[in-house]
Amino acid sequence: MAKREIPEINAGSMADIAFLLLIFFLVTTTMDRDKAYKRSIPKKIEVVNEPVDVEQRNIMAIRANSKDELMVRDEIMTNPDEISERILEWFRYNEQSNDLSSNFPLYSQITMDEIRAQVVNAEKELEDAENTPDIAEDFLTFKEAQLLEWEKKERALKLYGKSVLREIHQKAHIRIEVQVETGYELFAKIQSEIEEAIFELRDEKAKSIFNEGYGTIITRLAADGEKEDKEKFELLKILYPDRIIEVKPKN
Amino acid sequence: MSKFKKQNKKGAPGVNTSSLPDIVFMLLFFFMVATTTKESDPTVKVTQPEGVKAMDMTPYKQRSEIDFVYLGEPRNPARRSQFKFGYALFLDNVAQPNPGELYNTNTISSWKMDKFTDKQGRLTVGIEDVITCIKADKGAPSGIIFDIRDELQEIDALTVAYAVKDNGNL
Repeated sequence: MAKREIPEINAGSMADIAFLLLIFFLVTTTMDRDKAYKRSIPKKIEVVNEPVDVEQRNIMAIRANSKDELMVRDEIMTNPDEISERILEWFRYNEQSNDLSSNFPLYSQITMDEIRAQVVNAEKELEDAENTPDIAEDFLTFKEAQLLEWEKKERALKLYGKSVLREIHQKAHIRIEVQVETGYELFAKIQSEIEEAIFELRDEKAKSIFNEGYGTIITRLAADGEKEDKEKFELLKILYPDRIIEVKPKN
Repeated sequence: MSKFKKQNKKGAPGVNTSSLPDIVFMLLFFFMVATTTKESDPTVKVTQPEGVKAMDMTPYKQRSEIDFVYLGEPRNPARRSQFKFGYALFLDNVAQPNPGELYNTNTISSWKMDKFTDKQGRLTVGIEDVITCIKADKGAPSGIIFDIRDELQEIDALTVAYAVKDNGNL
């Protein structure tokens, strides 16, 4: 019997098949990213205390009703795109010097020495609390948080390089009040405007202190979380805090 | 007497293409691996509103520190009347997927808790930092968002995110 040679399989069309598959995946892949505004929900409290009075000047109230009509600081607004400008004004009005007659939040000043004194004080208080028998767990965590807060401010001012740290009032906040039937589109628009305003404030500051945009800093921070970027972010956050209160609509 | 020999008529030599399939396969595998398929196809209709300067959720997705909630009108019109304002929830990755299953807000806390206990070992953060991303339809009433927030507050899942369509760069 004669040995027959096995014919070679023609693999020339292999590339075509692979290309076809490749193109299929190229076409069906969606590269859209999930984008969202991150917010936190306040912790549930068992004992509800009497609400604290907050001065009108410290509240940046944005209200929307069930007909999707807007009101910003008791003023009716037709164009939601202007919200961010109002927020910018609210932050900037007293930023350089306090005008007591204005209806905008006041800024406080603190020097490096005062911050250091507060750090020492907080350390001492925490130590005392730890040495007290039967102390409430909540009180300890509160004191720890306080110490961390002051240490954060110390780092921030060092990075800022100025002699004083000007801070917006502790209770100054942006308040969103919507009704049950307010459309999500408007609710998201309000969130978007707030984010836009805070981004602009922080971006401007970042450019003047670090010579780079806020966007660059946060993207890098999310990617590799370097300590340096974290401190920059903390400083910007202290200068322009994003304290947002979302009020639950009443039924 | 020619100095140069006339070259044999051979034509250009063919390029060896035998490694082409390898290259293409490599590309193909890259796309197959890099593609993230949708976790679930929601049975509610969601048209996201637009917004700017929103945060990219990809890093959270990679660490599975995020759960998605869809809020929109049921695709099946007959079911709309079953829900408050006609808007229903669709929760991603439910343990026993039930095709066409839709939910009310009171199912949120048990779903979130189940998901958290499922992946607890892999997470480095507590339940308060596991984001619940709400993908709501443009027309959805904001009241439902606050109902969801209340449910989440009950179980101390304290981070939410409101999804938007961001057309900007970054």
